[in-house]
Amino acid sequence: MKKQTLFTTSNVVLCMIAITLIIIPFVSDSRTMIILLTQIFIFGILAMSYDILLGYTGIVSFGHAMFFGIGAYSSAIILNLYESTMMIFILSIVFGMVLSAVLSFFVGLLTLRLKSHYYAMLTLAISGLLLVVAEKWRTITKGNDGFTFRAPEIFRDRMMFYLFVLACLIITFMFFKRFVSSPLGRVLIAVRENEQRTASLGYKTLHYKVIASVLAGVVASVAGSLYAVSLRFVNTSVMSMDITLDALLMTIIGGVGTLIGPLIGATVIEFAQHYLSGLARDYPIFERWIIIFGIIYILAVIFFPRGIAGTLGNKYAQWKMKRSEAKTSKTYSGLESSMVDKRGDLK
Amino acid sequence: MELIISLTINGLATGMLIFLLAAGVTLIFGLMDVLNFAHGGLFVWGAYTGIFAYAFTESFTIGIIIALLTGAILGFITEKLIITPVYGNHVQQILITLGLMIVLSECIKVVFGPNGIPVSVPPLLAGSWEVGNIIIIKYRIFIIVIGFIIYGLFHYILTRTKIGLIVRAGVMNKEMVQALGINIKRVFLYVFMFGAALAGLGGVLMAPYSGVIYAEMGMEYAILGFIVVVIGGMGSYSGTLLAAILVGLAGSFMAYYVPYLSLAVNMIIMVIVLVFRPQGLFTVAKG
Amino acid sequence: MTTLLQLKDVHTHIGQYHILQGININIVENEVNVLLGRNGAGKTTTLKTIMGLTPSSKGSIHLHGQDITKRMTYEIASMGIGYVPEDQGVFSDLTVEENLRVAMRKEDETTLKKQDYVLDLFPDLKTFWKKAGGKLSGGQKQMLAMARAFVNDSEMLLIDEPSKGLAPIVVEKVMEAINEMKKTTTIVLVEQNFLMASRIGDNFTIIDDGKTVHHGAMSALVDDNQLKQKYLGIG
Repeated sequence: MKKQTLFTTSNVVLCMIAITLIIIPFVSDSRTMIILLTQIFIFGILAMSYDILLGYTGIVSFGHAMFFGIGAYSSAIILNLYESTMMIFILSIVFGMVLSAVLSFFVGLLTLRLKSHYYAMLTLAISGLLLVVAEKWRTITKGNDGFTFRAPEIFRDRMMFYLFVLACLIITFMFFKRFVSSPLGRVLIAVRENEQRTASLGYKTLHYKVIASVLAGVVASVAGSLYAVSLRFVNTSVMSMDITLDALLMTIIGGVGTLIGPLIGATVIEFAQHYLSGLARDYPIFERWIIIFGIIYILAVIFFPRGIAGTLGNKYAQWKMKRSEAKTSKTYSGLESSMVDKRGDLK
Repeated sequence: MELIISLTINGLATGMLIFLLAAGVTLIFGLMDVLNFAHGGLFVWGAYTGIFAYAFTESFTIGIIIALLTGAILGFITEKLIITPVYGNHVQQILITLGLMIVLSECIKVVFGPNGIPVSVPPLLAGSWEVGNIIIIKYRIFIIVIGFIIYGLFHYILTRTKIGLIVRAGVMNKEMVQALGINIKRVFLYVFMFGAALAGLGGVLMAPYSGVIYAEMGMEYAILGFIVVVIGGMGSYSGTLLAAILVGLAGSFMAYYVPYLSLAVNMIIMVIVLVFRPQGLFTVAKG
Repeated sequence: MTTLLQLKDVHTHIGQYHILQGININIVENEVNVLLGRNGAGKTTTLKTIMGLTPSSKGSIHLHGQDITKRMTYEIASMGIGYVPEDQGVFSDLTVEENLRVAMRKEDETTLKKQDYVLDLFPDLKTFWKKAGGKLSGGQKQMLAMARAFVNDSEMLLIDEPSKGLAPIVVEKVMEAINEMKKTTTIVLVEQNFLMASRIGDNFTIIDDGKTVHHGAMSALVDDNQLKQKYLGIG
């Protein structure tokens, strides 16, 4: 059995980042920063869930917002109806997860056996439908205006909420990391690479795709619940196409199929949104910054399909290869080996 | 009775507009295996440029021509810059056309402003006829007529002309068409531009019908268009017409009798079709 | 004996599979050049590579001395090479008439005369003029595919296993047609049916494991049992 090294370079780097993030609220005074980072974490979770679908299984969904919205509304409505305690909050998250699981199961079962285009169209249409439902069912959702509600007491302190969300992010990340290297995860990657071949090997690819779909939907729902509580407010925007687009942009620009990519993407886009909106107040030209992102996105799909994380990862791998090649050629070239010692230094 | 007729005409008119958008999508998909998620962007740009041309020149005809041109030009750019680089890769192509859709929609807001723009029916086509007790709105009949003319044009081109023959052959076996010495990529471009022009036409015709144009209508109609394409069968222009009429009528009647189900009913039909007959209700099997 | 088409050290990869590993062929003008070999040897891939349907990764292909290695399929076809694939490629929803019409590059006097000539060669097609391609029998489809490739002024026809799945009497008809077409066009024929190949072939090239291993006059091969056994598993 191969020994799994726990202390690989990437693991160490990740740990350091995690520790830094944990320390930030204790050293930083900026409330804006804390809130911004919390949003990044929330969208990071959403983007990672999207990456499981797109990056690891190769499924394009245009309706991811519906799960996010289900999670958001579940928490908002339940916290509004009952006491705002931690317990109720957790229950609301679970409720959202169950609803999302059921919906993603049926939607997946229905269309994942057809061409990818059908799934994209269907998810687009269904999430559009749910958006309209949310607008019209005013008794429960208060439609477009939305409603405010109380978050659990413990989250009054922004720092506590920050740490809670960060914990969720770390847990989700570690779970997904484990998941993609598990046998189940490997099958999903195989499906993305070549579905026909995977099927001919005896795997019921539909089952696996549905599992990916459910998993992604459930995690998106969690992100939605956290989002609602972060704002203490919910309205139909949580179901809108914008949310799906955010997830899509973050995943593609950050790097599909890497898990860390979506997190990078979430950071980049949330920071950009924050600063560009600020600029837009003073310079109206920035109001349509999303066009720039749209163009970057298109260029990314054509020229940098691996996104930031992927391209950097490739460069790193290339650099490593060059280093080991250099060592090899030094060691094994005839005359030189007598003149140069094992470490490549002159004798 | 008057109600039924009024609702039917309404439904047919809406159906025809969706047909104009969906026809392009289905033809492009049947021939090129490309699902153009940006088609709604062509629709809304046709609407805006057409209406502005109309406002500027006071001629609706010129508005229509401008809309057709806008569609064709945008179609040309889209096919060359967006579709061709990712040809063959379904995932990339789905992603990129959606990106283009966003850019097109947002650019509307940049060029024409974010607010909706009210549009009135051109005077020549405004008003209604009274037939007994029934009031028939002229503009709606106009749309229906144009819709059938376009369908007829489709039919004629595809069945009687050489290029139509090539397109039909290409849908069945692209490789063989190439092996017969025909540059199928050139044909793709023409088909794409044609579909795009139709979408533009649909947009400019829709404007006076709904009374207002706004950036989001591209995506809204695109969704309806996709539903129609799925129900009618990808690649079948006749299926698209029938499905568009079905969807238009269903929406129209539902909007009156059971309003909150009106969007849902088309969705439900789409889901039923996908489950029981995913190749569409009206398709002929591909060769 | 002029060489019309020349393949030099052609390699083809399909995905990661190295299918053609060195094909060297000289196609002789106005003869029936037969490509022989076992299943999976690479005969069909060779034809597809010539047509540009599966581009070569190495080597060169020259038509009349002109380099066509990197040309697009439709360019190669319009330079006068007709192709009849293994599955015939008949457009199933189009009628016989329409199938031919798609193929005809120009609809002028010459081509229409050629069409008449072709229909005389394949009289069945006249009977089923308005019938959908998909409803034809195997033999009729084969006739249609060959007629389609032939109706333009092609100087070379690539025909892939025309006798496959056909009844012997139909195979006879196909052979008659090829013999007739050979008068004006050079034929490259891929055939598993050795009996047929030996009767109408003028010269042969054997492909084994993606490489050309032997070539010569057909008359020589018929008597060479050793060669036949080694590469074709017969005799």
